[in-house]
Amino acid sequence: MSNDAFDAEHDEHGGQAEPAPEEQTGRQRLIAGIWPPRVTRAQLIVAVLLFVLGLGLAIQVRSNSDNSALRGARQEDLVRILDEVDDRTQRLEDEKQRLVDQRTELENSSDQAEEARKQTVEKERQLGILAGTVAVHGPGITLSISDPADAVQADMLLDTLQELRAAGAEAIEINGVRVVANTYFSGDGGAVKVDGRKITAPYVFTVIGKPQDLEPALNIPGGVVQTLEKEQATVHVARSDDIVIDALRPAERPDYSRSSTQ
Amino acid sequence: MIAVLGLVVGVVVGLLVRPEVPAVVEPYLPIAVVAALDAVFGGLRAMLDGIFVDKVFVVSFLSNVVVAALIVFLGDKLGVGAQLSTGVVVVLGIRIFSNAAAIRRHVFRA
Repeated sequence: MSNDAFDAEHDEHGGQAEPAPEEQTGRQRLIAGIWPPRVTRAQLIVAVLLFVLGLGLAIQVRSNSDNSALRGARQEDLVRILDEVDDRTQRLEDEKQRLVDQRTELENSSDQAEEARKQTVEKERQLGILAGTVAVHGPGITLSISDPADAVQADMLLDTLQELRAAGAEAIEINGVRVVANTYFSGDGGAVKVDGRKITAPYVFTVIGKPQDLEPALNIPGGVVQTLEKEQATVHVARSDDIVIDALRPAERPDYSRSSTQ
Repeated sequence: MIAVLGLVVGVVVGLLVRPEVPAVVEPYLPIAVVAALDAVFGGLRAMLDGIFVDKVFVVSFLSNVVVAALIVFLGDKLGVGAQLSTGVVVVLGIRIFSNAAAIRRHVFRA
């Protein structure tokens, strides 16, 4: 804008006619107004108003410079900022919810893994009983076969074992040898071997199972006990509430077979 | 001189006392300050022109402040507060410039 444009403007004070050319110029009037200080009504009034102006100026400058940007913000700006904050809160809430879900999921899955591990351990113990890798105890019977005539053959002991298995025996030990799935009998009367280990009379079967099933199974007519007694062997069966079988077998890893369920 | 002292004292008091401005007045304070500045520059020019009348100055000062605040208030109510306050500031700025030009002519004769 040019100076001429400014000159064309008139303020409220310019509404009056231009002053007649006087001896006093504007600069002289300004100097006269400033020095020496004179307490006139005009000066006082202007001083009061300028005091108010200075006060407002200082307050505004201070409130703009210090404090947050929110202080001088307009209503619509505040509403916009509030909206943004709300949006952000919403987003953060969503994220928090997502993370909480994720944590719950992870905890659940670790719980499941723990449960699976427990089941695996339990299964291992059950299989260990069958495989003879763990010691077991429980109710059962003790079957003693004394053989003064050395007439008890390996096949008779095998029959006895089959009978016991058929009657529900869960764990069997013969003279300190744990009986497992691949147990075999060999040798002749008086020199019977179980799994290659020589055993001598009396042959003691320590059996864990239901005694009420095991004992009758042995004593049925024409059964194991009668067959053995025909060979001059003496058979003694004793029930017990707690039989301990602590003969163990090493866990053997099969060379060729692999589980197909994995 | 007394007037200049008044301005200085006002600024100092405002900085030292740190008065709390009521929340109702707060949005209108900046625009009111600009309007008051316009009145002061007008008054200064009138003084240099030799036509200064204290009564006119008081009325123009107060009416400037009130009208500026009123316009912004109205603008806020109409939902165009930001635009209207910008407009007011522009108009007052032009007036301040034109008055400053007149003052400059008197003081520097250029």
